Amino acid sequence: MNITEALKITQNVPRDARPFAVTLACGFTPLHLQTFLAAHLQQSLPDRKVTISSGLYGNLVGTLEAISSAALPDGLVIALEWPDLDARLDYRSAGSWGASAANDIVISSHAMLDRLAAALLRIPSGLRAALSLPTLPLPPLFHTPGWQSSAYQLHLECDIVRLAADIAQEGRIAIVNMQRLAEDSPANARFDLKSDLYSGLPYTMQHADRLASQLAQTLLPPPPKKGIISDLDDTLWNGIAGEVGPDAVTWDLASHCQLHGLYQKLLSSLADSGTLIGAASKNDPAVVHQTFERPDLLLRSDQVFPIEVHWNAKSGSVARILKTWNIAADSVIFVDDSPMELAEVAAAHPGIECVRFPKNDYAAGLEMLRHLRDRCGKERVSKDDALRLESIRQSAAFREQTSGGAAPESFLQGINAVVTFDFGAGSEPRVFELVNKTNQFNLNGCRYTEADWHRLLASPGAVLAAVSYEDKYGPLGTIAVLAGHVDEGCLHVETWVMSCRAFARRIEHQTLKILFDGTGTTEMRFSFTPTAKNGPTRDFFTGLLGEEPQSEFRLKRSQFEEKCPALYHEVREMRRAEAHG
Amino acid sequence: MDDTRQKLISCFQVVFPDMPADEIPAASTATVANWDSVAAITIMNVLEDEFRLEMDLDDLADLDSFEKIHAYLLKRQEVA
Repeated sequence: MNITEALKITQNVPRDARPFAVTLACGFTPLHLQTFLAAHLQQSLPDRKVTISSGLYGNLVGTLEAISSAALPDGLVIALEWPDLDARLDYRSAGSWGASAANDIVISSHAMLDRLAAALLRIPSGLRAALSLPTLPLPPLFHTPGWQSSAYQLHLECDIVRLAADIAQEGRIAIVNMQRLAEDSPANARFDLKSDLYSGLPYTMQHADRLASQLAQTLLPPPPKKGIISDLDDTLWNGIAGEVGPDAVTWDLASHCQLHGLYQKLLSSLADSGTLIGAASKNDPAVVHQTFERPDLLLRSDQVFPIEVHWNAKSGSVARILKTWNIAADSVIFVDDSPMELAEVAAAHPGIECVRFPKNDYAAGLEMLRHLRDRCGKERVSKDDALRLESIRQSAAFREQTSGGAAPESFLQGINAVVTFDFGAGSEPRVFELVNKTNQFNLNGCRYTEADWHRLLASPGAVLAAVSYEDKYGPLGTIAVLAGHVDEGCLHVETWVMSCRAFARRIEHQTLKILFDGTGTTEMRFSFTPTAKNGPTRDFFTGLLGEEPQSEFRLKRSQFEEKCPALYHEVREMRRAEAHG
Repeated sequence: MDDTRQKLISCFQVVFPDMPADEIPAASTATVANWDSVAAITIMNVLEDEFRLEMDLDDLADLDSFEKIHAYLLKRQEVA
């Protein structure tokens, strides 16, 4: 992106777009970093108007300390550079570079990092923040020649990495991956001394753009893909299992097939963090079964579900896997070594991302592994991620029992269902994640920034219910969230999502019943908006209203009770100190 | 209107989106409140993009009006 493109992006925004206010904390003149940051954020938020404010020159920590809970921005971006730790590290400073200064710079930097850590800790929890560590080389002020690391330099780097590790561990501020930045913005093309001295911006245009891009991505990461469907022969392993036999396919170093082993390890790691892994193969089911029983497989067979093996078109396999997972094609990646199979699946499932397994091309193989991690990677892994695959197996069993239609009364009565309502879980990451990634049972498709979400929960009369479910088939974890506020005897529901894994259990009915009871209201107002994907939500309300809703509507308690079917759940309620409403 | 002038007007529209097009030829640091040091550097970088040339920060102080920038660009094109 060049500066002209960046300016045009920031200007071509609908005038009535809702603002998305970002504070940029940096000690230098932000100039083009600010412009590029606005442009990259604007591309991620086309329906918002991104505005960026920066703090005082030379006072990064002061900018952070001035952030107040009373007027929180929507996002915070922190671009740290060495001069923020000690002014003598600034080319614009007249401070000494003498031998006696070096040790003092390390000491004063350490103290400044303590102050920075304290300021970062005080950042309110509802504020999404991204931080980049120093990107520019240190000035040549230490006594060692440039090719040798000075102990002072290493101490500085050590202190700053320790701070970043502590922040990353704490999980509230996302840190830019400096290795990835180095790939996009080579170290020797970052610093512009003349620009630094003339304007106070130390970055080249290219570096300002690249850093802004990574800061924007770190602040507003794209939603991760939910699943990977993989081919088996010559993809998950090397060789055709049906031809050479289950014992002769390979994925190890000795066979020069380590790329397949690395792919298995990556899929296993992604499965552990909640990414769904399925398999689609034109093969003999018995052969595949035997191969999956090999103890040296690096992806456990219980991490893969469903496994579709037959000789029919793979697009059909993908369709069945998507149905079992109950997710849309655009949330999934399909990996195969055959361009023909990829094309067939892509044609049948618009939106699915097709990735070719680059057999024997190691550079492309590494790129593919990194790409899959990028597309499926998550900031944090919750206990619900670990439950996901098992709950899908349970849902498949559940659907089998109910033959895919409405569950018969006797069946629902006998599954020992427990629904738990947590009225104080607003700041739980899983709750926020569910609100922003659920498509089918979603009242209006509205996505929230962390700041928007916290504002909603802090509004007068706010109500939040996070719903968990389990039955004799096992726990589904946190599967639904409803948020809104009570106003003049009416509960105004602004967002309501439920995981597709929880359909057909009447959890949505139980949720409304509990909220009518708990809030004492006689009417609910729903901010409903039809979307391309929220048909299940529309169908649910059509059943209650007797007609299809087109926009916001009201539902009286008497209407609900008239249509509400028998509910067999045991209900538990949790009310924490932070409970709303 | 010469191509350079037209392209220069487009550059000004990118940097000063709220300025009416007919006022741009008369623009100068004295008449445009938003034309501060940041805007001056932005103009310079937009010109570098659009005219595919490298400018020197030292020239910025003299390029304080539309007409002076126009003359500067014509001169650079003659030299090229």
